[in-house]
Amino acid sequence: MPIFKIKHITNYKYETPVRDSANQVILFPIKDDYQKVVKHDLNISGSPEIEIFIDYYGNEVGTFTQNEPHTQLKIFSKVCVETSPKPLPQDDMFGNEQWNRLDALKYEVPYIDYLRQEVFEGIAQLKETALSIKQDEDTPYQTAIKYSAHVFNNFEYIKGVTAVDTTIDEILKLEAGVCQDFAHVLTAMLRLTGIPSRYVSGYICPNRDGMRGEGATHAWAEAYLPEYGWLGLDPTNNCIANENHVRLAVGRNFADCSPVKGVYKGGFEHIMEVNVSVGYNDEDLNDNETYFKPTEVNYSKPSATVTNVRKQNSYQQYMEAIQQQQQQQQ
Amino acid sequence: MIENFIQNYLNHPKTYDEMFLDSENYRNHYSNFIKNFSKESLENLNKKEELAKKLFMSQGITFTVYDSGEGIEKIFPFDIIPRIITSSEWLFIEKGIKQRLKALNLFLKDVYSNQFILKDKIVPINVIYSCPHFLREMYNVNVLHDIYIHIAGIDLIRDHDGTFYVLEDNLRTPSGVSYMLENREITKRLFPDLIPQCGVRSVTEYPAILYKNLMALSPRAVSNPTIVLLSPGMYNSAYYEHTTLARLMGVELVEGRDLVVKNQKVYMKTTIGLQQVDVIYRRVDDDYIDPLVFNPNSVLGVAGLMGAYRKGNVAIVNAVGNGVADDKAVYTYVPDMIKYYLNEEPILKNVPTYQLSNPDELKFVFENINTMVIKKTNGSGGYGMLMGHAASEQETEEYKLEILKDPRNFIAQPTISLSSAPCFINGKLAPRRIDLRPFALNGPDGISIVPGGLTRVALKEGSLVVNSSQGGGSKDTWVLTS
Repeated sequence: MPIFKIKHITNYKYETPVRDSANQVILFPIKDDYQKVVKHDLNISGSPEIEIFIDYYGNEVGTFTQNEPHTQLKIFSKVCVETSPKPLPQDDMFGNEQWNRLDALKYEVPYIDYLRQEVFEGIAQLKETALSIKQDEDTPYQTAIKYSAHVFNNFEYIKGVTAVDTTIDEILKLEAGVCQDFAHVLTAMLRLTGIPSRYVSGYICPNRDGMRGEGATHAWAEAYLPEYGWLGLDPTNNCIANENHVRLAVGRNFADCSPVKGVYKGGFEHIMEVNVSVGYNDEDLNDNETYFKPTEVNYSKPSATVTNVRKQNSYQQYMEAIQQQQQQQQ
Repeated sequence: MIENFIQNYLNHPKTYDEMFLDSENYRNHYSNFIKNFSKESLENLNKKEELAKKLFMSQGITFTVYDSGEGIEKIFPFDIIPRIITSSEWLFIEKGIKQRLKALNLFLKDVYSNQFILKDKIVPINVIYSCPHFLREMYNVNVLHDIYIHIAGIDLIRDHDGTFYVLEDNLRTPSGVSYMLENREITKRLFPDLIPQCGVRSVTEYPAILYKNLMALSPRAVSNPTIVLLSPGMYNSAYYEHTTLARLMGVELVEGRDLVVKNQKVYMKTTIGLQQVDVIYRRVDDDYIDPLVFNPNSVLGVAGLMGAYRKGNVAIVNAVGNGVADDKAVYTYVPDMIKYYLNEEPILKNVPTYQLSNPDELKFVFENINTMVIKKTNGSGGYGMLMGHAASEQETEEYKLEILKDPRNFIAQPTISLSSAPCFINGKLAPRRIDLRPFALNGPDGISIVPGGLTRVALKEGSLVVNSSQGGGSKDTWVLTS
C-alpha cells in the first residue's frame, strides 16, 4: 500500500497588479476503493474562501475569487494519499460477448458521454488507423493495450509544441505532444472503436526511475471494460495506470478536468510556475518551500485578439481585458 | 372605401387569410375595424404611414442585421394595419402555450436531475447528449422555484385551413417584446379611436408583470432586491429592446464589466461601492455568461457567475441551459413531453419534423428537398436555412454537403403555407405572410401571457420568411375582448 506525499504548487506572477480574479481548482483526489486521502491541505495566497461542489462527472471542484489587486496568486496543495493496486482484468469472457456488452452501453449514462467523440477533421482517418490495429479476435482489453502502445510508439513526447487548447487534428499532424495530448488521442481511438473512454487528470508517482509527466500534473486515459470497470492506461509511459497514478478528476477531456484555471482583469502577461513533487512515506517531507524548485515555467500570453487591443490602448486593456490562466498537463 | 383598397387583393391560393374569407367577404372579427378604417381617405392613410416611419426613426426603434457589412442598424418596418385575433382564438392559444411551457419547464428540471424521461426512452438520450446546449454544468443545480423558463417566445403559424402550429420554442433570450409594446403605442397615435371602439385588450402590463416576477425571484429576503438587466452592449441586435425594458421596469441596465463576483455573490459596481445583485435578467447567451466556466474568451459575461448561481445567491433569468429544450431536434418530442409529464393531449400542434441524423429520414428529405425547409438545430433569426422550393440547384447541392458533414445539426420540415394578412403597401391592401410570437411570463405565481404578441410579416411579396434579420417587418397584434 504505497503512501505518497504530493506537493503541487501553482504560482502565477503578474507584471502589473491584477484584480477580480475568479478561479477554479480540481485538486481533490478521488476517494474510492483504491485511493484514500490521508490528509489534504489547500493553501491559497490571500486566503480566499473556497467553495466546493461536485460536478457532473463526480469530481470535487473548488472555486474562489480574489478581488483585491494582487501581483501573485499562489495555490499550494499538499496531499497525502494511500493507493492500492486494482487487480488487472481476467479478460476470460469471449471477445464477441464483451463487444456486445459495450455496444449495449451506447445509450446509457454515463457511458454515452465517454463513447461520443466530438467531430474533428481527421476523425475518419483515426478511426481507420484504430480499426486496422485491432484484430478480429481481440477483446476490448487487448485492443485498449494495443492502442496505448500505438500512441506511445507513434507520438513523440516533446514539451512546448502544444498548449492547453491544442486540438486532436493538430496533435495528429505534429505526431508529438505531452501527456494531455497523448491522452486525448487515446481516448478518441478507444471511443471510435466503441470502448467508453475517459480522460483522467492526476499525478504520477514513479518508482524513482524517472517517468514522463513528473514535475507537473499528469494525464492519462481510462477504458471501460465489461465486468471489470475502468482500466487506467498511460499512453505517455506505455503502462497500466494503477497504484502509482493518483487520480484527481475524470471527464471527457482536459477541459472537464483542468486542475487549475482562472480569469482575471488587468495586466497583460503572466508567468506561471508549476511544480509537482512527490515524496514517499519513508522520506522526511519538510515543509520548507525552497525544497520545491520550479521545474516548469510557462509563459502564457493573452490570445491574439487581446494582444491587438493592447497596441491601441493599454489603459483600456488594463481596465477591461479579461485574461485567462490555465496549466497544461504534462 | 374599403372596396377601393382591396381591389385586386389577391389571395394566395391555398392560404388562410386573417381578414378575408374570400375576395368579397371579410371575417366577422374584422368588421368593427373595417367600419372605422374605411372612413379614412387614402391621403390620410399615406400620412399615417409616413408618421409611423418617422416615429420609429425618431425613437430609435431599431435592430441590427449581422453580416451585411454596411448600414447595419435598421428600423423595424411597421405595417399600419393591425392583425386581429378573436377572444376564442386567444383562449386556445393561451391554453396551448401554458400547457407547452409547463411541460418544457418540467423537462428542463428532469433532464438536469433525474432524467426520468430519458430512462423511459420518451426522448432519445442521444438527441439530448449530442445537443451542444445540454450543459452538464447545470446538472443538479438547484434553480430557484424550479423555474427555468421565465420568459418564452413561442412562435405560432397557421396552415392553409387556419390551424395553429408551433414553429419554434424560444426559451433562451427571446426578443421582440419591445416591438410588441411600441407597435401598440404607435397604433394608439395613428388611430386614437380605433382601439377602444374595437375592444382591444391591453398589452402594456408586460413590464409590470415581468418586474413583479423578477422581484419574487430574489434569493435574499429583502424589501428592495437589486435587479439588473445584463446586456451584451450597444452592438447587440436587440440593444434597443434591452434599454427599453430596463427603462420600463426601472432596473439597472448593466454590461458584464459592471458586475463582479466576490465569494459566490454578485455585485454591481456603483459610485458608492459594491451593491449586491439578486436577480439578473440576462440577454447574454449561455456560452458567454461566465468566462471561467464557458467560453473563456468572452468579455460579455461575469467571471465566477456560475458559482454564485450554483450557490443560490443570485437568480438568472432565463435559467442557464435552456437551449436543450428549444433545440430544433428536441422540438419534435415536445408533444410527447406534454403527454409524459402532464398526462394531457397537446393543445397546440407541432409542425412535422424530420431528424436528419436518422438515415431513413435524411434519404426521404433529400428526395423531396423541393418541398422542404431545412434549418440548423441550434440556429435562429432565419440565418443558415434552406427554403427548398426557392433555392437554386447549386445552393441545394452545397447545402446537402453541409448537412452530410454533421446531420445532427439539421432538421427538415415540409414547407408550410403561412397565413396571410392585409398590409398597406403602396396605397393598397396586399396580402403578406405572417406569424405570431406571444410572450409568456412564468413566475412563482404561475404563467401569464399578455393578450397580444409580435406579429411578424414577410414584407417581400410571396416570401415565407418573417425574421426581421431577413427583411421582415411587424404589425400591431390585437386580441379582442369578445
